[in-house]
Amino acid sequence: MINWRLGLGVILTGLLVLVAIFGPMLAPYEEDYVKPSGYYYNSNDDFGVISNPTPPSSEHIFGTDQYGYDILTLLLYGAKYTLLVGLLVALVIVIGGLLGLINGIRSKNEKVGSSFGLLGSIPAFIIIYFVMVGIVVNSSLTMIDLIILQSVLMTIVGIPGVYAAVFSKTKELKKNLYITASHSLGARSFRIAWKHLLPHLKGTLMVMFVKEIILVLSLIGQLGIFNIFLGGTILRLGGEGVYLSVTHDWAGLIGQWRSFVYDYQWVLLYPLLAFVLVIFSFYILSRGIELKDKHGFKKYPHI
Amino acid sequence: MKFLLSILGVFVLIFALVAFPLAIEIMGGELSIDFSVMLDLTKAYLGGIFTGESFHYKEGVDRNPNFFATIPDYLLTSFLYLAVAIILAIVISLLISAWFSRSRKEWMKDIIGFFGMVPDFIMVLFLQLGAVFFYQTTGLRLARIATRGVDEHAILLPLITLTIVPTIYLIRSLSERTYDVLTDDYILTAKAKGLRKIYIFVQHVIRNVLPYLKADLHKVIAILMSNLFIVEYLFNISGLAGFLFNTGEYQFNLTTNILITLVVLYIVLYWFIRLFIACLERIFAHD
Repeated sequence: MINWRLGLGVILTGLLVLVAIFGPMLAPYEEDYVKPSGYYYNSNDDFGVISNPTPPSSEHIFGTDQYGYDILTLLLYGAKYTLLVGLLVALVIVIGGLLGLINGIRSKNEKVGSSFGLLGSIPAFIIIYFVMVGIVVNSSLTMIDLIILQSVLMTIVGIPGVYAAVFSKTKELKKNLYITASHSLGARSFRIAWKHLLPHLKGTLMVMFVKEIILVLSLIGQLGIFNIFLGGTILRLGGEGVYLSVTHDWAGLIGQWRSFVYDYQWVLLYPLLAFVLVIFSFYILSRGIELKDKHGFKKYPHI
Repeated sequence: MKFLLSILGVFVLIFALVAFPLAIEIMGGELSIDFSVMLDLTKAYLGGIFTGESFHYKEGVDRNPNFFATIPDYLLTSFLYLAVAIILAIVISLLISAWFSRSRKEWMKDIIGFFGMVPDFIMVLFLQLGAVFFYQTTGLRLARIATRGVDEHAILLPLITLTIVPTIYLIRSLSERTYDVLTDDYILTAKAKGLRKIYIFVQHVIRNVLPYLKADLHKVIAILMSNLFIVEYLFNISGLAGFLFNTGEYQFNLTTNILITLVVLYIVLYWFIRLFIACLERIFAHD
């Protein structure tokens, strides 16, 4: 059977990467283009008000937001931050998780994984929230600094999970006789990891990497809901505070427009759909890799 | 001993986190952290425990209510949402995983897995948009999309969101376990004896899956706690997590107290679910 999931996943993620790279060139408007609002008067029967947000039309495919920014343009400009940070952070997390491989080979105790117990009561994004909340709003730090800071935090928060997974998987594989044989022939743990375990774990690690991208994106999104936007938050005071994303990364856009539920729904709907598309692409890619990798021992149920 | 250490660790983490926004200083693009502020705040809090100072917070301009007087309502609200959600999740996932473990349809796994990966906030926003869209097209009010005031609680949509994510996590892990159990020899023996399928499931499969459920419990509750923040915030529910973000100005004592109460909620919820599983064991695994 053809692995259509892998194909679809590769095509979709490829397209997303292209959008991230060439987005600003494809954008129909400049990043700071604002659709002017005002009155128009053609005749006695044909007059009215031009106001924002305007619904999707041929001029503005995804419509405009409350200030008149073109939503498609903002999405195209913001794509690179969302995707790049997701990819890089996930990569670093998986590389960090490889420590679990070495530790899994070396450690003698049979207890698999470590339970963080009560730490589960404080979710990861709350930790990042409290660290970032005093820094990110109207910050004098540069956008790049803020992105790096948040990426580092997300990496720290993400590594333990991958580490534990790799660790327990290594423990499981270590029971195989060929590892014992290789070990008694004098192989060091690095050689065992490189020659015997990595080929086994390659598929799992790829799947983990792609899933970790989704987890990192969710984390960015959850922070965005609480106005911690990737790359900085602009807080406009004077009346009710308005939080705006500096980079227009997709999670930030969802966060800043999250209250468009009752009316003008397109403002919220299109960024949401874009975000779901990203999640879907990476998910279907991970499924494709998973199925490709699925071989070896299979058990069959008796009833 | 291990338990005490983990409690101590959580407390240190909470104090450090809550003090962090007050301890940092950003001057001209330079970030500096003043650790002495963290220590002072923690000391002041610990000292205030005996005078009761730490348990009063500022509300509005001049009110100064006692934390213990207001918190039970918030705690109860959060607890009820979580408890109902997790019990629904356990029951649904036990039922579904019995069937799902035998399913060889990859597209079912695709769909279930995808719903497991969709972040909670996306689900909340889509449910809200969906409810509004349904109302605008048909004029029927399906569900409240936010809690308003003290009597109009949003119940259906928050519960759906809180249930879906742990359910899918449990379906995936339990269906693997169920599959393993189904391949075991005692199932073959039972089948050879001519016992009915439903009997084998009730008497042998479920009771052997329950221990895995117990082992997964910490993970499930951790997932739920993280969902709780998003759900309470977006549905405007006045539970603990909602309280945390609606305190007006940033108050060290209040925020610390709320986070500590969240840990309490975690422990209470954990033992509540253990009790529930013990009840299930009475039903399925009595000898």
